[in-house]
This record gives sequence, C-alpha cells and structure tokens, in this order.
Amino acid sequence: MKLLRSLCSIPAALLAGGTFAQSQTPDWLQETLFHSGKINTVVAVVALVLVGLAIWMAAFDRRLTKLEKRNGQQTTDQ
Amino acid sequence: MRRNWWKALGVLLLLYVVLIGLRTPLAPTIVHVDTDRITPGPVRFIAQGYGTAFSTEQPPMVWLENSGQRLCAAEVTVLDPLRIRVELEIPEGFRSELSHLHVLDTRAGQSMVLHEAFWTGGRGSGIQEATCPATAFSPSAAFTFPNRAILNETIRNLFFHVPMWFTMMLLMTISVVHSVRALGAGGLRHDVAAVNAVRVGLVFAALGLVTGMVWARATWGTWWTSDPQLNGAATVTLIYLAYLVLRGSVADPGRRARLAAVYNLFAFALMLVFFMVLPRLSDSLHPGKGGNPAFSTYDLDDHLRLVFYPAVLGWMLLGTWMFNLRLRAARLSESRP
Amino acid sequence: MRPAEIGHLLKLELLLDQRQKHAMGGMLLYVASAVYVCYLAVRHIEEASVWNALFWLILLFAAFNTLARSFQREDTGRQLYLYTLTHPRSLVLARTLYNALSMTAVSLLTLGAYTLFIGSDGLDDARWPAFSGIVVLGGIGFAAVLTLIGAIAARAGSGTGLMAVLGFPLVLPLLLSVMRASQLALQGLGLETSGRYLVWLLAIDAITVALSAVLYPYLWRD
Repeated sequence: MKLLRSLCSIPAALLAGGTFAQSQTPDWLQETLFHSGKINTVVAVVALVLVGLAIWMAAFDRRLTKLEKRNGQQTTDQ
Repeated sequence: MRRNWWKALGVLLLLYVVLIGLRTPLAPTIVHVDTDRITPGPVRFIAQGYGTAFSTEQPPMVWLENSGQRLCAAEVTVLDPLRIRVELEIPEGFRSELSHLHVLDTRAGQSMVLHEAFWTGGRGSGIQEATCPATAFSPSAAFTFPNRAILNETIRNLFFHVPMWFTMMLLMTISVVHSVRALGAGGLRHDVAAVNAVRVGLVFAALGLVTGMVWARATWGTWWTSDPQLNGAATVTLIYLAYLVLRGSVADPGRRARLAAVYNLFAFALMLVFFMVLPRLSDSLHPGKGGNPAFSTYDLDDHLRLVFYPAVLGWMLLGTWMFNLRLRAARLSESRP
Repeated sequence: MRPAEIGHLLKLELLLDQRQKHAMGGMLLYVASAVYVCYLAVRHIEEASVWNALFWLILLFAAFNTLARSFQREDTGRQLYLYTLTHPRSLVLARTLYNALSMTAVSLLTLGAYTLFIGSDGLDDARWPAFSGIVVLGGIGFAAVLTLIGAIAARAGSGTGLMAVLGFPLVLPLLLSVMRASQLALQGLGLETSGRYLVWLLAIDAITVALSAVLYPYLWRD
C-alpha cells in the first residue's frame, strides 16, 4: 500500500496545484476525491482492487488449509 | 515453468499497467478561470493551468474565440508555472456568446483550450477576426494521457475498472462452455469447472461494481445512477447469484449439474439479449454515451490504448489464473482417496 | 414431437385446470385483491408512469403465481406416465402454449380490474388497443421465460421462492422493454414509436421458446 501511495504521489506531486474550485459544498469526501485532479479516486480504486484480491486470497487460503487438514487426517487414519 | 508462462505474462502486463498507467502525466490544460462573465471594456482574469509549465521568459499566447470571432490578449503575465494573468480589451462590438479560451505555449510546445470558459457579454453583432502575432509552434512529443473535463486524473481508472467487466465476461463465457459440455457424458467434471468459473467471475463483478461506484461518486456525484451499464452489471450479478442459490438447493450431484447447466445456458442467452436491448432503452451517463465528456471504445486515445489493451489482457490472465487455482483445489477436494 | 401430440397435451392441461377450479379461482382472487390493495393505497393516479409501473408490478407477480403452478402441480405418478408416452419437447411446447394462453387471460383480467378500480384519469391520449396488445404480448413473454424457470425450480424440488430468485433477473429485459413500450402507448404514441420495443419483445419470446425446446429434454432425464 505504501509503495502504491508513493507511486501515485509521483504524478500527483508533478501535477500538484490544480486544486480548482468545486461548486458544491466541500464535505470530507468531496475534499478527498477531488483533491489535485481527483488523483485520490484512482488511489481508492486501485486500493479497492487490491483489497478485493486480498480477500479472495484469504478465502482461497482457508479453503486450501481445510483441504490439507482433511488429507492429513486421512493419512493418519490409514 | 514452460506451462506457466501465461501467468508470468499476466503479472508482467499488470506491472506495466500500474507503472505506465499511474506515472504518465496528463496532458497540460487550463482547468479554471476566476471569472465566468466578462463585459466590454478592459478585463483582467487569472487562468489556472494543470500540468502546465508557463515561463516568464516567454509568456504564452492567449486569445478568445467564439464562432468566428477572435480576440487576442493585450497582455499575459506569468504568475507561476501553473497560473497566468490575462488582460484584454473587449470591444463594444463583440457578440454576446460563450467563448473558448485558447492558450498557446510555444516554449513548452503546449497548445490548450478551455472550452466555454466564460460568457462574453458584448452588445454588438460581431467583430472582424483578428490574427494574433504568430510564432513557430512545434508541439511537444511528451507521452501524456488526455485531461478531459470532469474525468481529469480518474481517466486512469480505465485500466482498473473496465477490465474487471471484460474479465468477468470471459469467465462467464468459460463457464457456459463448460455447462454445454456438462450436459453431455461425464458432466460432473465440467460442472465443477462451470461453477468455479462463475465464482471467480463474481469476484470480478464485485470489484467492477465497487470500483465503478467510487468512480461514479467522483465524476457524476452519486454512488449509483439508473444507467444501462450499471443496471446491466447489477442484473448479471443477480443472475449468477441465483445460479449459486439454485446449486445450493439441489443435493444430488448429477441432477444439480444438469439443472445448473440448463439455467446457466438459458441465463447466458438472455443476458446477451439484455446487453443488446438495454443501452437502447435510455440515454446514459456512462462514458461515451449520450454526449458525455469521455470516451467510447472508438475514440479511445492512442496513448490510453497502449495501456488499456495490455490491462485487459493482464486482468484476464489473472482471472484465468484464479479460476485455474480454484478449479484445481475443487478437484482435489472431490477426489477422495 | 408431433403437432397432434402437442394438441393432446394442451387438451390434457385444460382438462386438469377444469378439475382444479379452485386454482383458477385463487388466481382471480389474487389479481382482484392486489388491485384492491393498490386502490386502497393510492386511490387514483395522475401520472402515467406511476400508473404504468404499478400495473406491471401487479402483472409480474400475477405471472409468477400463475406459472409456478404449471410444473409443480403434477405428482410423480403422472410425471412418469407422461414421460413414457410423450416426447419432452412436445410437453414443454404444450406447456408454454398453455401458459401463454392463461397469461393472456390473466393479463387482460388484470388490465380490466386495474382500470376499473384505479381509473384512467389523466390518460386521455392513451391508445388503449395498442396498450392492450402490448400487455398481452408482455404476458406471453412472461409465460415463455418463466415456463422453463418453473420447470427448473420444480425439478430442484423447492417452492415458488426459488422460482422468483431464478426468474426475476431473467424477466428484467422483457419487463423493461415492455414497460417502455406501454408507457409510450399511454402517452398517446402509436406503434410507429413503440414498434421497435415490440420487435425486441418478439425476439425475446422466440429465443426463449427455442431455448426451452432445446434445453427441457435435459431437465427431464434423471
């Protein structure tokens, strides 16, 4: 995540300063998503994809662990 | 390793996508002027650039344009690399209309237009077209992505949101092919493949939905709109969740395989019809539809293409890899020694 | 698969329905009470789009109720009997045809009851012949899609709940195009504008019937 943030911050830093006015009232979300050309939206999207894949990996890991346990038990049973 | 080359290819493609897709700067543009209406007489405003490199050594050329009228700036002062102060004299004869602001930075080789920058409230019927003093201009050859209004930096999400749907469709197609074969002899083996393809496909559908919602919030202002693409995505997700519910409610493996395969085929065919019908039912907010400031597959920028196509292939390979892992685990758990 | 076989099966369905009059009566009661509940809830509707949406909601649930019966009412004995005597393809085509007929009746009845109770204020430009035609076509479309879904749900051995889960996302394309077409008819636009929706409707009907004919024999086997 840190690596990603720093990666993202490179173009953000290069292009910084583009905080242009938004017509709506700025709430925290607006502030976060719209800051410097909306780069944080990209950060959020990439982070969500990684989180999603990590959740999948964790689920798959559990599935494999169960499988290993079952096979292990069977070998001790024999 | 020889049989695993495609997995490495997928990872390398995604690495390329992350590096190039996130590091390439956006094309410089003017994003904002600090006035929205100008009237005849002397006028002064500040134009805010994004990614520009204005220099005091050679200030950029600035002019206003609206359907045939052109007015050159009297003086341009560079405040900093991102901001210029423009002074001009609007003649009485200027026609009242929305004007575009053109900025030509010959030193950096950057040509920018802010469309419909402000309303010029003239009283006349138009002025003679002026020619601003021209200097030799050679556009810079820097590799950039287009900076479109509203989208701005989020144009990069093209590489992390859209390929999710492509990958999901690939996995659902794999599933339907296995479902067809599951109806033949030895169906159980193919049934396992079909359900695992659907399960991984649903992971990508979820990713597509979540990333799409964040992107929609930043560009359209809401998490969800009644848009054909969004409704289609929601329906597809519902169809495949129903597929899993159907599987869950049948105990006998042979019967389950047949029922699930029949439903999968039926649903897939209706889904294709749905995708043909849906976009024609209404206008869409979605990029490339209904005059939105965005892209369709046809006017995708060449630079975006260079990253987008590898992104689609990379995510598809990753999806296939995930499917491959799940399928192998499922086959392992079914083969009781 | 012979036309005569389909005809015989169709007759059998009609006979079964006559024997189970309470089922048909229950259907009518459902439509009447659904419309009456809507009437109590809203009295009368000014806006064409709301009028249209409410009507299609009632009809959608009526369709699920009517069509869920078609495969669930048979016991294993009769199933086995039909299995030995007929080709599954004729059976599914006969059932689809029969369901289409009963849905035509149900949709016209619903339309009648709905206009009677809710009224048609503010729908002065509506083209009622075109609207009724679209309603009937929509009803037939529901029958085409939900017949196979009903068969799957019945084979899975669970009740109408599963049928709703399986069928709902699949009738959506049909529902959306039919609602759009009927909306246009209510606003007084003729078939020249709503015509293309009807073409899609017919295409969906044709595709689903063809798919049912191809896929049903696989459900039958056990």
